[in-house]
Parts: sequence; structure tokens; C-alpha cells
Amino acid sequence: MSHASLHYSSTPMPRVCLLLACCLISSAFTHAADEPFRPEAGKFPPLEKAHSYRGELVFVDHANRRGSIRVQGSGMFFRNDPHPFALLPYATVRYHGAPADLRDIPLGTVLHVRAFLPPDPKTSAVPVLPVDNKSKDANHNRGTGIAPAENHVMLLEDEPSHCQREGLIWKLKELEIKNHEGILIATREPKQGGDAKATEEKMTFDAATRLWRGREQLSIEELIAEGAWPAEGKKSFGGQSVLLGVTWKPTPDGIFTRFHISDIWLDDASMQRAAKNQTETHKAFIRSRWMAAWIDAVEYGKFGRATITATLFGGMDDSLYADFKKGAPAMMNAVENTLKHTHGAYGPAHMASRGTLLDATKLPGSAPLGSSGIQIKFETDLIIEGIRPGRVVRVRPTSWPQVQVPREEYLQGDLEERFPSPDIFPKY
Amino acid sequence: MGLTMLSATAHAADPFRPEAGKFPPLEKAHSYRGELVFVDHANRRGSLRVTSPGIFRFTAPHPFALLPYAIVRYHGAPADLRDIPLGTMLHARAFLPPDPKTSAVPVLPVNNREKTKAGALGVAPAENHVLLLEDEPSHCQREGFAWKLKEVEIKDRAGTILASREAKQDVKTKPVDETLTFDASTRVWRGRECLRIEHLIAEGIWPAEGKKALGGQSVQIGITWRPTPGGVFGRFHLSDIWLDEEAMQNATQHQTELHKTFIRSRWMPAWVDSVEYGKFGRATVTATLFGGMDPTLYADFKTSIAALMNSAENTLKHTEGGTAGPTQMAARGKLIEVRGNLFLPQIQGSPQIKADKKSAGLPESVGNQNSVNPPLGSSGIQIRFETDLITEGMRPTRIVKVRPASWPDVHLPREEYLGNGASSIDERFPTPAIFPTY
Repeated sequence: MSHASLHYSSTPMPRVCLLLACCLISSAFTHAADEPFRPEAGKFPPLEKAHSYRGELVFVDHANRRGSIRVQGSGMFFRNDPHPFALLPYATVRYHGAPADLRDIPLGTVLHVRAFLPPDPKTSAVPVLPVDNKSKDANHNRGTGIAPAENHVMLLEDEPSHCQREGLIWKLKELEIKNHEGILIATREPKQGGDAKATEEKMTFDAATRLWRGREQLSIEELIAEGAWPAEGKKSFGGQSVLLGVTWKPTPDGIFTRFHISDIWLDDASMQRAAKNQTETHKAFIRSRWMAAWIDAVEYGKFGRATITATLFGGMDDSLYADFKKGAPAMMNAVENTLKHTHGAYGPAHMASRGTLLDATKLPGSAPLGSSGIQIKFETDLIIEGIRPGRVVRVRPTSWPQVQVPREEYLQGDLEERFPSPDIFPKY
Repeated sequence: MGLTMLSATAHAADPFRPEAGKFPPLEKAHSYRGELVFVDHANRRGSLRVTSPGIFRFTAPHPFALLPYAIVRYHGAPADLRDIPLGTMLHARAFLPPDPKTSAVPVLPVNNREKTKAGALGVAPAENHVLLLEDEPSHCQREGFAWKLKEVEIKDRAGTILASREAKQDVKTKPVDETLTFDASTRVWRGRECLRIEHLIAEGIWPAEGKKALGGQSVQIGITWRPTPGGVFGRFHLSDIWLDEEAMQNATQHQTELHKTFIRSRWMPAWVDSVEYGKFGRATVTATLFGGMDPTLYADFKTSIAALMNSAENTLKHTEGGTAGPTQMAARGKLIEVRGNLFLPQIQGSPQIKADKKSAGLPESVGNQNSVNPPLGSSGIQIRFETDLITEGMRPTRIVKVRPASWPDVHLPREEYLGNGASSIDERFPTPAIFPTY
């Protein structure tokens, strides 16, 4: 055998192996890169990976933390089918600049959304759509993006909440009015520094639009009576800073998308009062339903004893978190992703694990959205099924009232109650 | 003869159901009260948690549908289901389904209100087709009641109020005291002001802690429900307190304006009384406008004005036109007569019009002759509409929607119209399957 043939026969195997290894590694990377991002149990998804959109709240099933939004696209807004969405268990909902539940938000409110693909399509409470659905044209002049597959919501906020969080403000430019209704032209700009190039937006208002000033709720008619607004004609506002509540009302032919003003907060005092009202409503709500959290770890002891580490979900009023004190007695109950208590007929306390908060600590760094940044250590003498890493629980410091939740907010064992079917949503 | 008598007896035993083309008498309605727990406003249905002597929180939400001519009132003004916040306690007057086969809510055994469910009697009445739905202030205004505050007990801006609902005119019946809770989110309305409990405390009107007699202060209240401790079967919560007339009128005015805009964009519902056909599609349609709206809306229906009429389903969704708007396929024409508009229609119990005004010879189903009070559901106004091209759906007893041409011509959102031609039967007749069974 010649050197050449020997040489030829000795190199192919390593080369083939190397080639095969490269192919496998490349395939793994490609597969990972191609896989669309989905939230994982036990991890708060990064907000920057969320898909953003805006739309009108058209339907609410608050007990199952889901609803429908008419998503704004590039086409005729009124033709857009209501688009189902579900709240992630750790979703933050804000209304009037304060924490809220879906039930607090009036139908018709225009909301800003940050959403992801369903974490688990098999148990999704809303229809599962093709991953690229947001790129599809919905035809009939509706444009693209009105039915995104990213329908599991992380952040849901009305206009004032969105503006406050993003540091924005509305500047009124001009109005045109007749018979207590008309058009307002305004721009949404950064509160600090403004934006000379901000796009003007026209919105309608009418006799039902509420104006808030300090303690007062006023009507358009009252502003006219005071001489602040004309009864008829145009008026320039010179960029008066306000916050707006935005909804949608049917528009004439030819108007693809134009929104309507439900509320105008003329000063900070009025907006703060609205936020305070909503805050108090939500605090009472959380105290009666218990604080949502997920389980980070469980250390089992003997005869049912266990020490549970859990992270409280974020977005609530600070005073609620302040009630989680080291040494305080507490209760923990297993819940579903809809945050419904399990075993509810005798109240959530009946089957909950009882024990003591060994610790409540603020985790270092800034908490990702969805997390409060507060981790508790809870010791119980009888852990229950459902309190397992990655699973969602509800926790109540015993200083909170012990009340019984209504029938539609607890589970009685039916599989459909645990995993609501998306079938209730009509297909258009 | 025996068979005829048997048949007559059996017929007499049939439970009362509303009939197409007739407004059912309110006195035949079943009354109940409950918390609004679910709303599907596009299909004019929802769920109420109905009160009973039993444990309120155990009571599963009970589906209801609005009759096409149902009257909904919120804050003392006309309203749509979408205007009412979840959790609001509502008074309902309801009937059995007119047509069980097409009911949008579950059809229950006729005697279901006599049955106990989860230990509570009457919480799932078969009478789930609602004629009148009103919140507490609306109910009190219509029935002539006011709430009198007796005593408050407070700590940390939350507590209980002892109050009684009393008839303004009837001084003989002893009012029953009721304990209601309030908390820091309870809104207190005074004139133009929106206050909270802490403001009343700061002003010295209520104490920060302890009890205070309120001397029967007359107010209107908004009622909801909040979870109660075990052992408390049924106790309700104050969402709002209107301290004076001005505050209540402001709320009423706001809701009125909201609803007026709503009706002008969705058109006035009515049903067809009769059709006189001409040639080549011409027809004259006689229709009765449904009641409960603001008088200014009815005032827009004048003789000789241009108008449009479109057929609608019992859910009041427009048919045809769909994506091109309700105007596209609507019959166009003019109102050649408007009867019964000499006086403003009234909600029963509201201040009455002088008795010397008559109903201009309208049939009893529309408005009683020589009486100013049409049956609930009817406006008492009948129109005759002449068109050069009648559309299918405009037939006696069928529902239509009418728009004076002075009202804005706008496009409706997708869920409020029936897709043109290709719509599924579920859109026309929504299935009750969406309601969970507990």
C-alpha cells in the first residue's frame, strides 16, 4: 500500500466525526434560535421579549383572568375581531395608575398590552394561534397584526397608567366643539423635555366625557359655563398638560381608526385621587383573595412538615407586601394558573397549610416585571399537594381578614374549572 | 267537548311566556336581586349571583338574557349592560324564555325557583329573560325609596353602616334595618365632589374610630358585594354614597349622555307591527319603538323626516351590511307618521305627565288608549315608515332598528353585527354553552 493510500485511509474517520459534530452543534443552535420564546414556569420572562400592542377591551371573563381586546392594526379598526387574551399568573394590571384586576376596568377602555406566546399551548385558556400570526394580513382592509399569537399578557395598562410608567404626558393643542362634542388634537410627549416632533392625534369627545379637577368631576357643559371652553368653534390650548382616559366609539365611513376621550384629568391632584381610589379597591381585593406567589423550593421535613421558599408576585401596593413580616403567622394555599383557590367550599383557609413566616427578604437587584422582588420562607406542619416548585400559590398573613370567596373563584374539582376551555370565544 | 275542555285546562296551566309582538305585563314577572358577575354585552346576556336566605357566596352565577325591549337603568338613567361595573347589585324582573329553542341562556325547569341549590332557595329561577334591570339608585328612584343612614361604626376607614330603605310616601310600613359594609374605596359624592371616607373624617363629619348616630340622613347608595367572613350569609357593601340630589343628578346626567350616544350610533330598536306591501319592493312599515330611552332620542322621530330601517336579531345585532355598515343594506325612506309623540314616554314611577294628554288612539299593546303610561318595554310611540325597497326581516313581530337620518352614520364593531350572509347560526342565536355549569 502506498503512502498516499495509507494517508487517504487514515484521515476520513476524524474528518467525518468532526463534520458530524459540527452538524449536530449547528442543528442545536438553529433549533434553539428557531424556537419561539415562551415563558417558562418558575422564571419571569424578560419584558423586552414581549410583543406590544394596543386595543379596546371588548370582553371580560374576570374569574378566569381572560378577555378579548380589539387590537389596533393598520386597517379599519371597527372590522377587527375581538382578540382573546389570558393573563399570566404574575401579570401586572394597572388602571388609573394603580394596581387593578380585570374586573375593575370598564369595557371599551383602550389598553396597552405586553404579551407572550402561551407558555403551555395544551392548557391555554385562549385559542392558540400560529406563531407568525402577527405578520399576517387579516384581509378586508383590516391590516396586519390584529390577531397576534402572543396572547398571554404580562402587562396590561390603561392610558394614564401607561403614560405614568413611561414618563409621558398628553399635551392639548386645539379643540373644535359644537353641541358639547367635537374633536381634540393632542400629542403624547415625554414629561421631561417634551418632543417637538411628537405626532398629533385627533380624538373625539362628547357630553359624556368626564373632566376631573382636584376633587371635582365636571362635564363639558360646566367647562363651557365657566368660560374655560367655548360653546362652539375652535380653541387653542397651547400645550396644556393633562392625562387622558381613552376608549373607542364607532366612527363614520372613511375613518379607519380614531379614538375617543372618556376622561380628562386636568391636574395631578385629580389623577392622584383616581389612583388612590383604585389602590384602595385593589388592596381590599388582594386581602380577600390572598397574595399570589410561586414556589421556588420546598424542603421536606417529617410527618408533613416543610419549609417553603416562594416569591411574591409583583405589581401590588407596597402596604400589602409590608404585611409579610418575619415571625408572622400565615397560610398558604395551592391555586391554579387562573389564581383560583383549590378546595373552596369552606373557604380557602379550610385546606390551606398553616404556619409561620420565617423570613421575608428583598432580593438583591431590581425585580423583573411580574416579581415583587420579595421572597418569603414559610414553615408549615402540614404541606399540601400543589405546593411544589414552579407552581402558583396564594399566601395570607393572618392579619388579613379571613373571608370566603365566591363560587366562580374557587375550584371544586372539575377539570374544565382548572383548565378553562378556549371554546367560549366566538369565531368570526 | 271533553277533549276541548281538557285542552283548555291544559292551556290555562301553561306557564306565562312573553309572546312576540306583545309587551308582557310587569306584574307577571318574577322579581329577584343579584350581583352582576359576568357580562357578554354583545349578546345582551350575563350572569347574576341571586340573593336568597342562604349562603350568598355559595350561589353559582345564574345566566340571564335581556329581552329585546328590556329596560336597563344605571344611576337613574338608561343604560346598556356594558355600562354596569361587575359586582353591582341589580334588581331584576324576568320571565321564562319566550322561545326555549333559541334561548341564549340555559333553559331550566319551570319550577326551578322553588328548588334549593347549594342550600339556597330560588337562586336559579327559570325566569331568566329580563324585562327590567336596575341598580339600587335607579330602583329606589323608580319605586320612590330613599336610604336613611342610622349609624356608622368605623375603624381604619372601614366598617359598617346601619341603614334602612324607606318609601318616601308610605309612612305606615316599618322599614327594615340593614347592615352594609364600607371601606376606604367607597366613593362619597357631594355636589360636584368625589370624596373618600378619609375626607369625611378629615372634615369631622364621620369619626376616625367608633360609632356615630347619623340621624336618618337621606342618601342614595350604590351596592356591591365583597367576600364576607364565614357565618355571615348575606351582607352587602357600599360602593358609592350620593349625599345630595345634585350629586345624584350629575351621575344621572353623565349616564344619560353616554347612553344617548350609544343609541344614536346603534339606532333605535323597535318591532314591526304590520307591513303594507306596494309594488316593486315598496312598502309601508308600522313599528313600535322600544321604551326606556332618553326623551330627546324619541323627539328626533318626526313626521316627514328621512330615515333608515334595518332588520336586527333578538340580540339587537344588525343584520346585513356588516362590514359595510348597517346603512348599506338598510331600507331607506321617510317617516310618514309618528303617533304617540305628543307626550314624552315615562318610566313607571317617574313623575307623571298630566292626565289630559291622550295616547292618540294607539293600540293597547303600544300604549293604552286614554292613558299616558305605555307598558314597560314600549315607548308608546308608533311610526309609519315608507320605503321604496323593503328588506327581508321586516315582518310583523320581528325586531328592527331605526335611524332618523339626522343621527350619525357610523360603523359598528365586529361583535355587534351579524356577518353578511356568511355568519354562522351561532351568531344569530348564541348558544348557552358558554356558561359554566357548577
